[in-house]
Amino acid sequence: MKTESNLEGVLTAGHFAVTAELGPPKSADADVVRRKARILKGYADAFNVTDGQTAVVRMASWAACLIQKEEGLEPIVQMTCRDRNRIALQMDVLGIAALGVHNILSISGDHMSFGNHPQAKGVYDVDSIQFVKIVKDMRDEKKFQCGEEIDVEPRPFIGAACNPFAAPFDYRPYRLAKKVRAGADFIQTQIVFNVPRFAEFMKRAGDMGLLDDIYVLAGVAPIKSLGAARYMATNVPGMDVPDEYAQRMAAAISGIPRGEKEARRAAWKEEGVDICVEIIQQVREIPGVAGVHIMAIEWESAVPIIAERAGLLPRPAL
Amino acid sequence: MEGAKQKGKPVIGQVQKPFEEILEYLEGREKIVVVGCGGCATIFHTGGEPEVKEMANVLAQHGKQVLAAIAPPLGEFTCYAPWITARLSPYRREITECDAVLVLACGDGLQVVREFVLEKAFGLQKPVCPGTNSMGHMGGGPTLFKEKCMQCGECELGRLASICPLTQCPKGILDGPCGGTTKDSKCEVDPERDCVWVSIYERLKAFGLLDRLTEIREPKDWSEMQRPRQIELCPSIPASERSGYEN
Repeated sequence: MKTESNLEGVLTAGHFAVTAELGPPKSADADVVRRKARILKGYADAFNVTDGQTAVVRMASWAACLIQKEEGLEPIVQMTCRDRNRIALQMDVLGIAALGVHNILSISGDHMSFGNHPQAKGVYDVDSIQFVKIVKDMRDEKKFQCGEEIDVEPRPFIGAACNPFAAPFDYRPYRLAKKVRAGADFIQTQIVFNVPRFAEFMKRAGDMGLLDDIYVLAGVAPIKSLGAARYMATNVPGMDVPDEYAQRMAAAISGIPRGEKEARRAAWKEEGVDICVEIIQQVREIPGVAGVHIMAIEWESAVPIIAERAGLLPRPAL
Repeated sequence: MEGAKQKGKPVIGQVQKPFEEILEYLEGREKIVVVGCGGCATIFHTGGEPEVKEMANVLAQHGKQVLAAIAPPLGEFTCYAPWITARLSPYRREITECDAVLVLACGDGLQVVREFVLEKAFGLQKPVCPGTNSMGHMGGGPTLFKEKCMQCGECELGRLASICPLTQCPKGILDGPCGGTTKDSKCEVDPERDCVWVSIYERLKAFGLLDRLTEIREPKDWSEMQRPRQIELCPSIPASERSGYEN
């Protein structure tokens, strides 16, 4: 074990790991985080808190991580390179380690133009791969990026994101190789809908020998509605949603009159959870997949149902 | 004014400020000297001879007294101190008399006029107002200009297939392409534009240099961009032998 991370413990013990996402509020309301934490507790091994996702101002990831930690969950702090330079990033790595957060996910961060402060200046002093290397060197070399030594080093389990579906497809395993070489311990992927394509990506990564050195958690998400399926298929860059899922979401409400909104919503959610469970079962069969990362965006209550139906419970207690 | 309509279109290296803003700077100042530029401001139609003339006319229509309207000829950059000092010297009387100088050039040109010419060469303290918004170093033309280089001080083009991602990737990342590249290899930030990292990938592939994309690059040394930067040519020339405005 490199760290005190529960997630690392679960993975190194050979269990199929489960992580889930907890979205922080657009406010200073700690109760929102507590409520979500209570819904999620026990249904995954560790819980990501997004860091200004889509470049919208929300409660800081590290702060919401501490709140969920008080609720007894194991946090994964997401850290984007968009808002902090190498000085601020390293300060936060020290701070969260001092406060007992044992997992970091390094990401570049959604561009400012997508968010609610499009006039903000982006930082991007380092990118997500360079940041992985910085954290790895802080932990394993006991050195800051500048080369100075650290007395008491942070010891996080280091994660990185990966999108197997974005162009150019042939290059994606090589970019994963960079993240492995930079020192990532685990990967959480973009949401998988196109399972055959994901399997091909994993095969290539396996052929390159990458999967011996890293744990890959396949991203999954329940689709909330037909509109959401269509939106993800056409409007979210880098996402690959085969038509069959939009068709299934459309079929799920056939026979339910347009006016019966509640019934339609319930039918969609049921189908969305079913699809998610099926995809979990499919990715679980792909060699090298070490777990799943469930992103039920603003729908945390779906996570217990998905985990239950996918046969992921109970989570191992280490 | 024609230029004002172009405000906010980032393909233009410099655009004219809205005339209302220029008038605000000149409020209470009656006697004006207008100075253009034979370099970029001529190329971008913000401070060439036609624009200098037009500005003088419009200012006159708004009750200003234009003492001089000076348009350096094509190729004569206002940011080059020896040229603009020579160009403005015959107008020293008008500049001394005026209430404000309006410069239709980039921020470098304006500040060279203020510091090197007015303050150092002429010993004058005058309001010097901008007539343009500068948007940076761009290449192309005659009608479409693109930002290709951010003058980072540590050129990466040799390693990256002659394409600069620091400038052309909105995130400026050195380990792209990011996960937001669309299926047709466009940029998530602007789906009209090709992902520059896909272009780098394709070029390196064509040259058989894809292994470059597996290297982990150290974080960039941004101290080379620490401002303000300056370059001193011929440092061995003693101060006593330099033009007065250089000291």
